[in-house]
Amino acid sequence: MENTIQILLLTALSLGAVMALQQLGGLSDAPGVTAPQAAPFIGGAAPGTHAWQRFHVRYYTMTLLFVAFEMEMMFMYPWAVVFVEEGIKALVEMGMFLAILTIGIIYGWREGIFAWE
Amino acid sequence: MSLIVGLPALLALLLIGLWAAAALDTAIGRLIVGRPVGMAATDPLRAVVADYLRQRTDTEAPDHLNWLLAPGYYFLLAVVGLALVPFAPDQSLIALDTSVVLWGAAEAVVVVAVFLHGWSPNAPFPLIGAYRYVAIGLPVMLLSMFVLIAASIPAQSLDLRAVVESQRGLWNVIRQPLGLPLFLAVVMSLTLRGPFDYADSADLAGGTSAEDGGPRWIAWQTARAAMLVAACAIAATAFLGGYLGPVLPGWLWLSLKTLAVMVAVVLLTHLVPRMPVARMLTLIWIVLLPIAFLDLLIAGLGAL
Amino acid sequence: MGMSWARAFAASGPPPVFAAIGAGGLQRAEELHGTLRLQRSPRQAAILLVLGEIAPDLLPFLQRLHDHLPHPRATIWHRATPPGDWTDPVQATADGLERTLTDLWRSILSGDRASEPDFLPDKPPNEWRGVGPHGQGGKGMMGGTPYGRPMAMTDDDLRDGLSLDAYSAPFGPFLPMLPPGLILDLTLQGDVIQSATATRPPCPQPGSDDRPGDAIARLMRVMDMPALALRRTRDGLPPAMGIAMLRRAIPDGLGRARDGTDVRDRLDRWRDKDAPQADDGTRLSDLLPGLEWHEAMIVLNSFQPDRIRAICARSGPEGGDEDDKDGNRDAPAHAPPDHGGHQHHDMTGPAA
Repeated sequence: MENTIQILLLTALSLGAVMALQQLGGLSDAPGVTAPQAAPFIGGAAPGTHAWQRFHVRYYTMTLLFVAFEMEMMFMYPWAVVFVEEGIKALVEMGMFLAILTIGIIYGWREGIFAWE
Repeated sequence: MSLIVGLPALLALLLIGLWAAAALDTAIGRLIVGRPVGMAATDPLRAVVADYLRQRTDTEAPDHLNWLLAPGYYFLLAVVGLALVPFAPDQSLIALDTSVVLWGAAEAVVVVAVFLHGWSPNAPFPLIGAYRYVAIGLPVMLLSMFVLIAASIPAQSLDLRAVVESQRGLWNVIRQPLGLPLFLAVVMSLTLRGPFDYADSADLAGGTSAEDGGPRWIAWQTARAAMLVAACAIAATAFLGGYLGPVLPGWLWLSLKTLAVMVAVVLLTHLVPRMPVARMLTLIWIVLLPIAFLDLLIAGLGAL
Repeated sequence: MGMSWARAFAASGPPPVFAAIGAGGLQRAEELHGTLRLQRSPRQAAILLVLGEIAPDLLPFLQRLHDHLPHPRATIWHRATPPGDWTDPVQATADGLERTLTDLWRSILSGDRASEPDFLPDKPPNEWRGVGPHGQGGKGMMGGTPYGRPMAMTDDDLRDGLSLDAYSAPFGPFLPMLPPGLILDLTLQGDVIQSATATRPPCPQPGSDDRPGDAIARLMRVMDMPALALRRTRDGLPPAMGIAMLRRAIPDGLGRARDGTDVRDRLDRWRDKDAPQADDGTRLSDLLPGLEWHEAMIVLNSFQPDRIRAICARSGPEGGDEDDKDGNRDAPAHAPPDHGGHQHHDMTGPAA
């Protein structure tokens, strides 16, 4: 409980400080942001459309592989704590687990999921 | 540790760390160019004051709230990381017995903070930087988790305080020699630097921060420097024995080791080029991740 | 009182500068990287440094760029002639640039010199207030001009055929990572280039082609090695170790031109100080489509200024077959078109 309160307090302080830093700064006598000032910077030319779009994410298949590994991490945290007690058995078990996931990496590599396809 | 004593200490450490990060970056950059270091200690301060006195620009129809908050998220994650670092036996601001897990979570949310920072301005360069960073930020986190779990094995605990105590005989950097080099890559990715800077890079005219002017620029760069301090302090704790050391007080040892890691990271930032993103993605999964497996194996065999 | 102290402290540091490079300014820009605080984006700059002659067709772009700078801001013309209607232009002589910069930085911070106002009218690109059913300019799902601009529309992707939004925009002519003067019409799907045409070729940079050290430095800067890019060994090149690292980071076969050389080959030629390669008829459509943004920027920076100028000149929107269409575009606004020092126009000049 005490930890939670501390983290919440740090959250409030950090977010507040950074918001205040940005809100208080800047020229008090500066004119407001005008339309030509607000146009996005692309080197002096003017874009035709807004930048927000249905962005073509090339690495989405990689993220699936990532999720598999990220779940594996959940098991590894408690595993690390009991590792010394369990000894060689824990090592072999995790080795098997990682070996299976490694097949996933090799398969993905062959399918070109890291190649921005 | 109570907040009344701890919070001012944390703030002082953070401010000194921020200044040291900025000065180091300037000084090492000038040394590499072969120019006199000059006023490297105060030049960043002048730049900060100048930017603070300038107009805060906006873009057309941005996500105002997230644009203001993204540097805050980033800064917050750095502060939480720093609060987890023990600076004396059993002394850290947040006394959590699963601090490695909380740090891992903070690392993951960095990807969200950087993405929101690039998404918010509704401009092409920040947007490309934001999406591209996710591709690298996610798998780099796996490296971090493997090496930090490896560092937890001899401690039989996920508490950074126990991780430091377990290094009384031998530091992890010697016991698990692959851990620290891999973690340096993680630090560069968390702080958007050099070879791992896929968010704020030169090929995108500054990427997610291309539209940041005046106070916005200061806020984001401050958060970035704070993350450098925090991640280097975690590296010093997990691999270099944290506060352990003879004669000098523990907090000073911790500061010196953090500084040493910062120097290494800044040097790598300036000396290693950034490769195209698909090449880096392949490198992470095919080369660095197996090295992280090996690190875990070495840690496991060493602990038996 | 406190404010004035802060302003004086800020003014004692180097001014943040954004360089807009015109014809003949590239080599000087390379020198200035070592002495000035050159920023990547105008949002972080207080002073717009116009470096080299700006052709009349680039002036509207310069004005738009100028308006991006936050207040207080000012413009300095160096090796460039301001157009007649530019109010109170500040010009810097060859050896007086740093002094002029510092003085100008002090005077805009202290308020002695007023911040420069916008050139363009304060009007959104399209009127949107009160337009449409929700008053934000939009119409239906994707139509109209919400908040002043239309949304990107879907198109098929080059690589996987997925139909997501294609973002088309002209990039340049004053982007630090593109050859100065080049306006590149790109269509992107995500960060992958679908099509590329050069609506305007880069400005001529006489004398830059026999400086391989500068060319390597530009490539290093795009790949974020700005400090090593400035260091030169006795042979005028960046350190050999840095070049070797750079070479290793570049994928094999990237940016293959029609003569069969890729980026690595061209880097090797610079390192060995071979003579610049002859033009081989390569077009942007041979190089860029299918590349991810970072790769594309590496490829564009792997050609010497004259060569990339020739490549872009024949990659115009009409297929670029009429090589003479840009004529003497880069002649300074104030000078007759046959002004000296433009012999590099020969390759794109009228055939007759």
